[in-house]
Amino acid sequence: MSDAAAIAIAASRQPPARWLATLMAAAVLVFLLAPFAALVFATDWHDFQFAPGDLGAIRVSLFYSALALALVVLAGTPLAWWLAHYHYRGKWLVDALLLLPLLTPPLAMGILLSSFYGPYSPVGGLFSQAGLYLTNTAPAFVLAQIYGAMPYYVLAARAAFEGVSEELEQISRTLGRNRWQTFWRVTLPLARLGLTAGVALAWVRAMGEFGIVLIVAYFPQGIPVKLWVNLQDVGLSAVYPLLWVFFLVAVPLPLWLGLRSRRQGIF
Amino acid sequence: MEIRYLLEKPVTLDIQMRVRDFTVLLGLSGEGKTMLLKAIAGLIPARGHPFGGLAAERRPIGYLPQGYALFPHLRAWENVAFPLPRGAGRRAQAMDLLARVGLVDLAERYPAALSGGQRQRVALARALARRPELLLLDEPTSALDMATRDEILDELIREVHDFGVPVLAVSHDPHLAMLADHMAVLLDGRIAQEGPPRAVFARPATMGVARLLGFRNFLAGRIEEIEGAGMVVAGAGADWRLRTGLQHGMHPGMAVTVAIRSEDLVPGDSLGGSAPNALKLKVVSLREEGVALRVRMEGALSLDMLLPRLQCEGRSLALGTELWVQVAPEHVHVMAE
Repeated sequence: MSDAAAIAIAASRQPPARWLATLMAAAVLVFLLAPFAALVFATDWHDFQFAPGDLGAIRVSLFYSALALALVVLAGTPLAWWLAHYHYRGKWLVDALLLLPLLTPPLAMGILLSSFYGPYSPVGGLFSQAGLYLTNTAPAFVLAQIYGAMPYYVLAARAAFEGVSEELEQISRTLGRNRWQTFWRVTLPLARLGLTAGVALAWVRAMGEFGIVLIVAYFPQGIPVKLWVNLQDVGLSAVYPLLWVFFLVAVPLPLWLGLRSRRQGIF
Repeated sequence: MEIRYLLEKPVTLDIQMRVRDFTVLLGLSGEGKTMLLKAIAGLIPARGHPFGGLAAERRPIGYLPQGYALFPHLRAWENVAFPLPRGAGRRAQAMDLLARVGLVDLAERYPAALSGGQRQRVALARALARRPELLLLDEPTSALDMATRDEILDELIREVHDFGVPVLAVSHDPHLAMLADHMAVLLDGRIAQEGPPRAVFARPATMGVARLLGFRNFLAGRIEEIEGAGMVVAGAGADWRLRTGLQHGMHPGMAVTVAIRSEDLVPGDSLGGSAPNALKLKVVSLREEGVALRVRMEGALSLDMLLPRLQCEGRSLALGTELWVQVAPEHVHVMAE
């Protein structure tokens, strides 16, 4: 086939293909967002009121999610750094084990947690002796959120650290900076975007965690469990106002971080 | 400065060499040149001196890897200021160093907006900010364009002379070694030869070194005769004879390898058989190399000749023609086997 003929065929085929791709993309987008449009119509805007306890649930969710997020970042960052930097035999096993909490259905994870930290288990017993009860308490709530959010944060943070060239870290050392200074001045700034993505993900996981929390810490009730309770006790009309609040408080942080990272070409 | 380093992993190296002014360590890729620099910098485990046993951040060295490894999140001046202690004079000091490498105007730029040569100078200024006792350069010519390479190299060498810090540059580029004050050749994990470039290029100690330095013609022969001013080397079947300069440690009957540079061979149709080292050979292949011509010839011996275009003009070279070629005795290099 001559070049001219090939070009002619490509030109005649291209416009419908592009048109079709746009149409399909739009269809999928509509599919994804349609339920949220329904939310706008289903909400009874004339009688928009919270069920008793909703404000408490918002406070619980915000405060303990922030606490869980802080703990996830504090404990997960060193782990992620270690996973990204150390290479040894059998590392694949550690990687696989790390995926385990991620692959476990939340409800099952909740059952595992209550078996392990519950009052009748040896570990739970030890904690109880120290005055720390890990079922249906604030610490149990935070613990459940940590288990829900940490694996996601660690995976994202590890990828972010792996993206930082080891050579730059080595150069920093030859320029007189020790490992700790190198971490703060080179690794962290260069992994920043990936880390913020991890933080955003962990925040969403912690705020929205339902399955684990339902089993381990039915009380204190955060937004997800309260949505469930409202649905059971009152009905749909009591779900929507709280859901709106959930979107208002949970989404801005990841949305802002996500857009910022996208603009800088990270995703 | 005397350097002695032993490495076992990932490559085996046993290096002992001198570094003074601008020193180039020449070696093939994969010989472990980068590993040697990393070992001296304390980035991989190794035994040796100077600096042996110190943590990387405590070794007074400046290390410029290939590609220079500037911090992409820092502006040029912030890169230079990186090793400087926090304080009021930090920016001024960095700007001063940038001025010394002629880049003060680009201080606010990020590395992505700098050319290869500019990045190299920022990296140099950054390495010098630490006041190193030794500067390590990994393939300083690899990231440079051919067009600006020589200019940038001259500049680089001038700058390191100005700063007065001894430099160890590793490279596979003989051209860089020619510009050095001192050079060493790395072969099979050891220093095969070291000395001033003029001496090493003229008198490579072994065939391996000669190959690295760009010699293309190697002939096995035997010393036939040693006279007052020179020697005569003959091929195994006495089918060719070449006069050479006098060299120490040779005796008649000794098996030797003769090395000749392609550029040192010249055609000489009018010479006939009278001139020293005139050989009549048949052209078996011709290849243009830019404006030069590479001619492969066979006969009593096989030779590869690189003809500059001045030599090609007015000469009709064709496959199969017979050609008289000549090489000056002082350009016939003899090595003990």
